[in-house]
Amino acid sequence: MKPLRLPPRFGLADVAILCLVGGVIATVVAFAREFEAPFVQAIQIDLRPTALPWYTLYSLSRGVVALVISYLFALGFGWAAARSRMAERLLLPMLDILQSIPVLGFLPGLVLGLMSLFPTRNVGLELAAIVMIFTAQAWNLALSFYSSLKSLPQPLRDACKVAGWPPGRTFRELEVPAGAQGLVWNGMLSMAGGWFFLMVNEAFRLGDHDYRLPGIGSYMSVALDQGNVRAMALAIGAMVAMIVCVDQLLWRPLVVWVEKFRLDETPGGGPRPSSWVLEFLRHAHLPRHAARYQQRAYRSARRATRTLELPFRAVGPVLVRAPRLALEHPLARKIGTALLVMALAAGAAWGAWHLWLLLGQLKWTDWGALLAAAALTFVRVMGSVILSTAWALPAGVFVGRSPRVARTLQPVIQVVASFPAPMLFPLVILLFERIGVGLGLGAVALMVLAGQWYILFNVISAIAAIPQQLKDASAAFRLPRWSRWRALYLPAALPALITGWVTAAGGAWNGSIVAEYIEAGGRLRITRGLGSLISEATAHANFPLLAGGIALMSLVVVSWNRLVWRSMMGWAQARFGLEQ
Amino acid sequence: MTPPQGTVLLEAQHVTQRFRLPNGQELEALRDVSLTVREHEVVALVGPSGCGKSTLLRMFAGLARPGEGKVLYRGQPLDGVLAASAMVFQSFALLPWLTVVENVAMGLEARGVDGVARRDAVARAINLVGLDGFEQAYPKELSGGMKQRVGFARALAVAPEILLMDEPFGALDPLTTENMRSQVIDLWRDPATGVNTLVIVTHSVEEAVFLAGRIIVFGSNPGHVREELVNTLPYPRQERSPDFNVMVERLHAILTATLLPEPVPAAPQRLLPFPRVHVSEVTGLLDHLLTLPDGKGHVFELAEDLGVDYDRMSAVVRAAEQLGWVTTPGEVVQLTGAGRDVMAMDDAERKDATRARLLKQPLFGRLVAMLKESEGVVEDEEVLADLTIYFPFIPVESLFRTVVEWGRYAELLDHDPDAGRLGLLGWEGGTTAEARAE
Repeated sequence: MKPLRLPPRFGLADVAILCLVGGVIATVVAFAREFEAPFVQAIQIDLRPTALPWYTLYSLSRGVVALVISYLFALGFGWAAARSRMAERLLLPMLDILQSIPVLGFLPGLVLGLMSLFPTRNVGLELAAIVMIFTAQAWNLALSFYSSLKSLPQPLRDACKVAGWPPGRTFRELEVPAGAQGLVWNGMLSMAGGWFFLMVNEAFRLGDHDYRLPGIGSYMSVALDQGNVRAMALAIGAMVAMIVCVDQLLWRPLVVWVEKFRLDETPGGGPRPSSWVLEFLRHAHLPRHAARYQQRAYRSARRATRTLELPFRAVGPVLVRAPRLALEHPLARKIGTALLVMALAAGAAWGAWHLWLLLGQLKWTDWGALLAAAALTFVRVMGSVILSTAWALPAGVFVGRSPRVARTLQPVIQVVASFPAPMLFPLVILLFERIGVGLGLGAVALMVLAGQWYILFNVISAIAAIPQQLKDASAAFRLPRWSRWRALYLPAALPALITGWVTAAGGAWNGSIVAEYIEAGGRLRITRGLGSLISEATAHANFPLLAGGIALMSLVVVSWNRLVWRSMMGWAQARFGLEQ
Repeated sequence: MTPPQGTVLLEAQHVTQRFRLPNGQELEALRDVSLTVREHEVVALVGPSGCGKSTLLRMFAGLARPGEGKVLYRGQPLDGVLAASAMVFQSFALLPWLTVVENVAMGLEARGVDGVARRDAVARAINLVGLDGFEQAYPKELSGGMKQRVGFARALAVAPEILLMDEPFGALDPLTTENMRSQVIDLWRDPATGVNTLVIVTHSVEEAVFLAGRIIVFGSNPGHVREELVNTLPYPRQERSPDFNVMVERLHAILTATLLPEPVPAAPQRLLPFPRVHVSEVTGLLDHLLTLPDGKGHVFELAEDLGVDYDRMSAVVRAAEQLGWVTTPGEVVQLTGAGRDVMAMDDAERKDATRARLLKQPLFGRLVAMLKESEGVVEDEEVLADLTIYFPFIPVESLFRTVVEWGRYAELLDHDPDAGRLGLLGWEGGTTAEARAE
């Protein structure tokens, strides 16, 4: 084999790539060491600014690991649901429920479970944090991949079959590329969603246990505890810097790159998105060489292992074909299906039984308190949706109707929206107290912070998607401003607005857990509501109440989604959908 | 005429295929279809849309399995994709993220063609279809014709014994089509390509006559083989030559018999489905007939004049015929007196005349009776359920849309899509539109 030698021309871009690779390796090593570190209660968080970059990298690593897991989940989920009718029937409703229940409530159970698996190491706590981030990232990715698989044109599938591609290759070279655009755009949203509970994930108390992981979230919460304003400002600055860097270094280049995988050939109006980083990297020589080296290495590896492959070649078809043949047999299929259904049913029954045991410990008065709290939080959630709509609808129409404004503002709004709102909650509440607003009302404002962006984004994209001819028509007939809103913008935005409401209400419900129960400036503030009930139950390790709270919140959210949002959505789609 | 000789390559035996529409209705795409394709043949499958010819082609490729019956290759039942075949698609089906070379090479790896051999096969295929110079282009940089050349190159690269084509020129402009048709024949006659048998699904009569040695005409509802036509014209064929025209005429005649069957003087209560065409298409046809001498024209010429395919044209003609505005002696469409009258009317009169004609249609008659029974309003669901019983072979949702459109035009029916209800116009406890018209 030839010795690896540096390519003849070596530019600035190559240096940058090498530095980046070095940085990634260093981070991975540090993060792995953190993983393996012995578990210590309430580790000291160093508030000096020099420690902050490391904390930021730790938090970022958790987000990235969770995102990778989310992508793997999305690929598997989408593939299974698009491939098998039964999986589809089973998985889609499951996903629908999973994405609408308050995942934060499951953190205590998860932490306790994982801690009991790894009692002496940090692994359990780290895994819990990663799983929590994953639950905020995975669902929309999975749905996006599923729907792009479902809308894949049949002739393309046929072409791959006729070419004799095995399923694995079709997956790699047809299905994943076809879903790439959706996966990248949704990945961007997921990453932002994953930061939402950063502070809680990295620092929370369960009964008399204080669990902390080194990270920007725990840094912020310690700074808040100590009332250290400089540290708070630093943490917020670091968070913004991280979001901007991830956006510029990861998402922008990816968004531009996946343009290549567009299936419909008519590009959307306006100039294509651009990324200075991708332009810069395209000048680099290293990647091209790396690809060649990799190919060469792969080939020689194949050659070296060819003798080893022979037995597999002989056995392989049997191993692969036998289960497939077995699965194609109707009786075997029925038995398999029945077994699977039985296993699932047994699992569900086991879970339900344990939940029942937990809930059985609740007294009638507890239920009364839960219901009253749920009603209060419900009112707050609706209030926050109305407030968010009041500003986000006009703003969305303003931004969306002019492509130029949309182009300049969209990336900025994206970065702003990625900022985890709960980090700002204590500051906002301190501000409110100064002007004399209590947490009862203040929580509504916090829930607005948690949900408003979904409404804004949905309205912007719906307004931007109005066909130019409709806008021209309303201009040509000189519709007055109000009629233009009534006849064009509002109906066009309505289906997307309802989609925004669903997500915003979901965000507000989730946000209520941290918005109704806030520690700031060393003092705890609580206002009555389902969110604060869940938080208090967590703080006092009152598991029956915690289970009751989560179950009730899930029930309210899911049934409201099913009964109200869904019928509104169907009506709006049929009445105001733009496709004819 | 002598029956075709040669080994039987592909054979469909009593193939029946059903599938389920999203609304739960079960449609029969093919019923008891038997068909053989022999070595060195060019076989064209023609017929109206929805006659299952593309379904049959996908079965030959091994992409679909027949519900009932068998599909054989050289006497063996097909198991999975048929390696001896390659396919060309109407929508090209190129992967947009692969270059021309990578698209063309798609089928080679699975056939164990590697390294230099693969490069040679790709280069040869690209050269055969005249794509040299475009090797590194992406499909989105190519015109429709060039894309389909890539589609052909991809199929030819694997040197298939049988080339299956599903309306390969359907999405191309006429000039490109003309040129590529002759090239297909050249490819077939060139022993170097390895292709010795072609099966083509097409919508165009000229295309079938130009390419095929045997033309299979399908009928629809459910799809079945109506007739086989053997075409012995020598290759290369000259379009517009007298022999060619005779052949085209013959195929026209067969298709007309399939598409515009002579009206059977059947029992009047038998429900006929109303062809799924728009009001404006029928008036457009009548308008055009008025401009022709004697108000008549050949159905295939009409299709050409009006720029629609013959399948659509014949549906429009059938609708006009059912309304009594044209007659169809043979392949000729003749405007009737009633047709002339209706075109001379103003808008309101024309609506009245149409309403009177519609009410004579058993389908509309039944619907009106149904509406009267239930106080002038019925749920869409009820009508759809009724239609499903009478027309198991037709997608009833589109039939329903047609009925609503005609009923609305004739001011006979009123439809509320929000409530999902159909109403009878002018129904005020017994006074109906019918009564008003009289």
